[in-house]
Amino acid sequence: MIVCSKCNHTNMDGAMFCSECGAQLIGSDVLTTQNMSMDVVEESAKRDAHSSKPAPSAVLNTWITLHLMDTGQMLPVSDRGEFTLGRISEGQPIMPDIDLSPYQAYANGVSRLHAVIKRTASRILIMDLGSANGTYINGKRLNPNIEHPLSNGDIIALGKLKIQVLLKTS
Amino acid sequence: MSMASDRADYYALLGLLREASQEEIKHAYYEAAQRLHPDKNQTAGETELFLEVQRAYEVLSNVKRRAQYDATLPKESTPLLFVKDTVEYSRPNLVRLEEPQLIYVLLEMSPRNADEKIPAPPLNLCLVLDRSTSMQGDKMDLVKAAASQLMRTMRSQDIFSVVSFSDRAEVIIPASYQTDRTKLQSRIQMIRTGGATEIYQGLEAGMQEIRRNLDTQRVSHLILLTDGQTYGDEQACLQLAEEAASKKVGISGLGIGNDWNDIFLDALTSRTGNNSAYISNPQEITKLLMEKFNSITNTLAEDILLEFKLGEGVSLNYAFRLQPEGGPLVLDSPMHLGPILQDTPLTVIFEFVVEPSASKSAQVGLLDGSLKMAMAARPMPVPPLRVRFEQSVSDTPGDDPPPLSIIRALSRLTLYRMQERAREEAQAGHYESATRHLKNLAQHLLDQGEKDLAKTALLEANNLERMQSLSENGGKEIKYGTRALLLSAAEVSK
Repeated sequence: MIVCSKCNHTNMDGAMFCSECGAQLIGSDVLTTQNMSMDVVEESAKRDAHSSKPAPSAVLNTWITLHLMDTGQMLPVSDRGEFTLGRISEGQPIMPDIDLSPYQAYANGVSRLHAVIKRTASRILIMDLGSANGTYINGKRLNPNIEHPLSNGDIIALGKLKIQVLLKTS
Repeated sequence: MSMASDRADYYALLGLLREASQEEIKHAYYEAAQRLHPDKNQTAGETELFLEVQRAYEVLSNVKRRAQYDATLPKESTPLLFVKDTVEYSRPNLVRLEEPQLIYVLLEMSPRNADEKIPAPPLNLCLVLDRSTSMQGDKMDLVKAAASQLMRTMRSQDIFSVVSFSDRAEVIIPASYQTDRTKLQSRIQMIRTGGATEIYQGLEAGMQEIRRNLDTQRVSHLILLTDGQTYGDEQACLQLAEEAASKKVGISGLGIGNDWNDIFLDALTSRTGNNSAYISNPQEITKLLMEKFNSITNTLAEDILLEFKLGEGVSLNYAFRLQPEGGPLVLDSPMHLGPILQDTPLTVIFEFVVEPSASKSAQVGLLDGSLKMAMAARPMPVPPLRVRFEQSVSDTPGDDPPPLSIIRALSRLTLYRMQERAREEAQAGHYESATRHLKNLAQHLLDQGEKDLAKTALLEANNLERMQSLSENGGKEIKYGTRALLLSAAEVSK
C-alpha cells in the first residue's frame, strides 16, 4: 500500500498517482523522508553555504558548476575529481555523490546511479552508468559506459532533467 | 521486398498463429469462407482468395499434412512487414506481496519504416447528418458547408454517400463514385431541419450505404454528426456498431453543442476502435470534420484487434488509447484498439491489478494474446502478432524509475480519470466527493499551466456545491479538454 502524503488516501502498491487527489506518489516519499549518508549531508551543506555566500576557498577550487535548468539552482562541485549523479532512496546499497532527488529527479526519470562526471588532466568526461532513461549531451543520447568529453556550456540531460555544465576555464 | 516474401502463408491467410489449435483453425476457416464465398463477395480477386483459403484449410486441418507444411516454413514466424510494436512496463518487476498491486503497460504500434509511404487506400465513406429541429439555423448551415467541402476533397477513387436523419432517415447521396459534384452539392443544400433525433435511423441507413461497397481494399467509415440525445434505441445502435466492427467499418462521432450524450457516443464509437469528439463552437465543424477525414485517409492499418486472456489472479482495470485519438477502450476480448496511422503510432496504456495469489510465482503472465489487423493498403492478409505482457516477481521493488513515457501518460490520464469519476459521482448524487475531485482536478490543471481548463473545473465545482448539478457544456469541456492533454503528452514523449 502507498499512503498519499497529501490526502492520506490509501493506494495500491504500484500506483504512481493518487487516485483520490491526483498527487504524484512516486518520488514524494524520497522528498519527505530522506535517508542520507553523512557524505551527502556534507555535500549539501556545501551547497547551502554557497547559496548564501560562497566561501572564497570553495570558489577557488570549484572546477564545475551544475546549473539545474528547470529550477535555476547552481550546484558547485569543488573537492572531488570524480562524482556520480543520481537520486537517493531507501535501501540503496551504493549512494550517488550528488543526490538530485530535491530537483524532481524521480519524475524526470533519473536512475539511482545515473552518470559519472570526472576530471582528467586535459578533459572533463561524462559517462552514463546504464541508466533506464539515458544521458544526453545537447540532445544526443550517449551510449552507456563510454566516456564522452564535456565542454563549457553543454546541456546534459539525465532522463528529462536538464543540467547545464559550467566549467571553470583556467 | 520480393513478391515471394509478400505472399502470406496459410496461417496468415486464415489470421492464425502458428500454434493454433484444430478448433481455432476450423473457426477461422468458417469465418473466412463465409466472408469470401463466391455467392457473396463483390471484389475482384476475392474468389481466388477463397480458393486459397480452402487450400489452406485442407492442409492445416489434416494433422499429417500440416506437419509436412510446417516443416517448409521459415523457422521464425513471418515478421510483420509494415508494423512494429514496443512494450514498456511501469515497474522493472512485481513484488511478492500479501495485498493486490498495480502495474501499467504501455503498448505502441508504429509503422516499421516511417519513410516508406504506402499509397493511401480508397475510401468508402458515409456522412450521417442529424437534421432534427434543434439543428436549425447556423448549426445546419455549417454542417452543410462542411459536408460540401468534404465532398470536394474526395478523390476520384473514393466512394462517398450522405444520409440525413431525424426520427426517420433519407439517403441524400447514394454511395457511388462522385462525378457531378455541383449537382450533389445542391442536394446537400436541400436538407431541411425538423423532427426528433433517432440516431439508430441514421446509422442504419448509413450502414446500408456502406454495405453496398464493402471491400477489404477500401477503408470503410461512417461519420455521425449529431447535436442531440437519442432515446430508447441505444441498444439497437450498439448492436449495429458491433456489426460494423465485425465488417471492419469504423464509426466516428462528432457531437455539436451541449445536449448530446457523450457517454453513449463514446460507447458506440469505441466498439469500432474509434471515438467521439466535441464541437463546442459550430464554427469548428468543418475543421474537425476535415481532421477526421485526413486521419482516415492516412490509415496504415484499420482497427487493431487485441484478442487476449488475462493471467491467473490478474485483472484489467482500465485501458485507454492515447494516440492517434484519445479515448477509453472497452475491456472485453477482442478489444478494439483503433487504427495505426502512417504518421501517428497507436499507443495504448493498460492498468492491471495483480492479486497476492499471482505474485507467489516467479513470473506473472499479465496478458497473453494476439494482435490482428486489417490493412486495406495490402492485398494479402497480415499475420497476427503474438503479444505477451509478463513481469518477474522479486521480494523487493525494482531499482529503476518508470519510463518517462508512462509517467507522462499517467500524469495526464490521472486528470482524465478524476474528471470521469467526478461526473459519475455527480450523477449518482454524491455531490460532496464530486466537488472535492473537481477542485483537486482544478489544482492539478493549474499546476500544469492549463489555466482555462482549471477555471472551468473550478466553476463546475462551484456549480455542484451550490446547485448540485454540472453544466452540460462544462462537463464536456473538461472531459474533452483533459483528453486533448493526453494527446499532447503522447506527442511530447516521442
